[in-house]
Amino acid sequence: MHLLKVLNPVAPQRAMQSVKIVSPRLTTLEGKIIGLVWSGTHGGDIALKHVGGMLEQRFENLETRFYTGGNYPNPPHILRQAAEECDAVIGATGD
Amino acid sequence: MIQIESLGIPAVPIISGRFEGDAVASSRAFGMPGLMFVVVPRIYRNLSPAESIENTEPAFEDLVNMLTKSSGERVEGEFLDFSTEERFEGEDRFDAVNRMNEEYLRRDWGDGFPLMPPTENVVDELIAGTSLPRDEVVCDMPPGFGIATVEKIAINSAAAGAKPEHMPLIIGAVLGLSKMGSDGGKSLLMSTSPQAPLLVVNGPIRNELSINCGSALGPGFDNRVNITVGRAFGMCLRNIGHWYPNKMDMDTIGTTRKFVMCIGENEENSPWEPYHVDKGFNLEESTVSVFITNGELDVQDQGNDTAEGLLKTVAYGATFGNKGLWGTHGEERLILLPPDVAGPVGAQGFTKAGSKEFLHMHTNGSLGKMTQFVPLENEARVAAHWKWMKGLSERELLELNTPVLESAERFDILVVGSDRAKTLVMPSGPASVTVPVDQFRP
Repeated sequence: MHLLKVLNPVAPQRAMQSVKIVSPRLTTLEGKIIGLVWSGTHGGDIALKHVGGMLEQRFENLETRFYTGGNYPNPPHILRQAAEECDAVIGATGD
Repeated sequence: MIQIESLGIPAVPIISGRFEGDAVASSRAFGMPGLMFVVVPRIYRNLSPAESIENTEPAFEDLVNMLTKSSGERVEGEFLDFSTEERFEGEDRFDAVNRMNEEYLRRDWGDGFPLMPPTENVVDELIAGTSLPRDEVVCDMPPGFGIATVEKIAINSAAAGAKPEHMPLIIGAVLGLSKMGSDGGKSLLMSTSPQAPLLVVNGPIRNELSINCGSALGPGFDNRVNITVGRAFGMCLRNIGHWYPNKMDMDTIGTTRKFVMCIGENEENSPWEPYHVDKGFNLEESTVSVFITNGELDVQDQGNDTAEGLLKTVAYGATFGNKGLWGTHGEERLILLPPDVAGPVGAQGFTKAGSKEFLHMHTNGSLGKMTQFVPLENEARVAAHWKWMKGLSERELLELNTPVLESAERFDILVVGSDRAKTLVMPSGPASVTVPVDQFRP
């Protein structure tokens, strides 16, 4: 028998050295402002606006606001603005 | 979405189709492995409005739940093993190496070809090929931002079959990619288009290592160093940069250029100063430049003998590709000009800068043709300075001729190749990064 010892080529990722935890979820969507953040790619805006309409129908006094930075990925100031003005955000991404 | 979550606001992206793996990998790369997302079956990009809605509605309840209820389980992705040593038992060494290969390739830790075993002895030898200490962090390597220590670079290089004297180039290339900025180093590598790195070496190290500067792209004995250095870089990109297929490398079809190659400039047969001198380095310095390419086209010249004729042929080939309408992602052309084109062009009085200017003037095409790939409506990424096209008819657009690139500086000319006037044109960009490598020699 032969025992081969080799080294592992995979490097740990920098960001995983200090993992961020997701934010607490909302208790209800009623009366909340939901941001719809579009990355600018074709078709994502249609999906987001449709979801926004469904949310407004389902939850009383829910308001949606649409954001886009005109490019992909969205510029940080657009994301910051959405975070400041909304209680939660939905994005269309993944191409 | 991670940026919004980091500001304390719940954020849920809608992820399309096979991008689930990418979402998991990206959430790790940006430090929030618990990011919640919903998955819809199809990519929106080419769906009709009705199809987009149909694609989205089934995910609605999940979306509501993700905004209001903790899922209870965090999306951690696949188990990533960072143990330092792996052990494989076989009937003999050959069998053990085969078992190692089976397992490493199954984990996608390779390029599909058999790997050399990165034993401690081999890795130590490679580390001795550089002045840098084993634990020195060269950079965080995109797109997944793995920590590129000299040791990890050496392990991947050993698996690719590299030799100690190759290490300065490989380290330089890894560092170069990290300096490309978010467009080249991250966004483009993660794209569904087949962007891939190409390494170009200048200076004395080319001849010291026997890097082929003639028929430099492709298989064969003459290209063994070109292949090995490129492969080592590709291994680093996968296992340090976490550029794994269907995770952070999301190609639609892919390209053989992702078997990364390293080439040398044919400085001895160029009428001009080498590329690294253009970039501000001395002739006697050795450098490696990292380019991001997105295709290649053989541009044949079948008989011109004037500089203008030869350059016009190249210019025609350089129209290949779309015209970028985005605000960023500067389109470029990497022109690998063989000595049989560069020689006469230089001898007839063209400087390299003059050749680039001439190419820019003659690399024209129909604006309508070049922009048919993107709808001007409902595509927010089209830069504001192109919106005027909305007012034109298709016929008017087709009749407008325009330069393909923004400026002559968007052309990079490298003299590469053996005899015959066959230029290789590669759509490329953003701008290459050149790293001096003598600093990494022992």
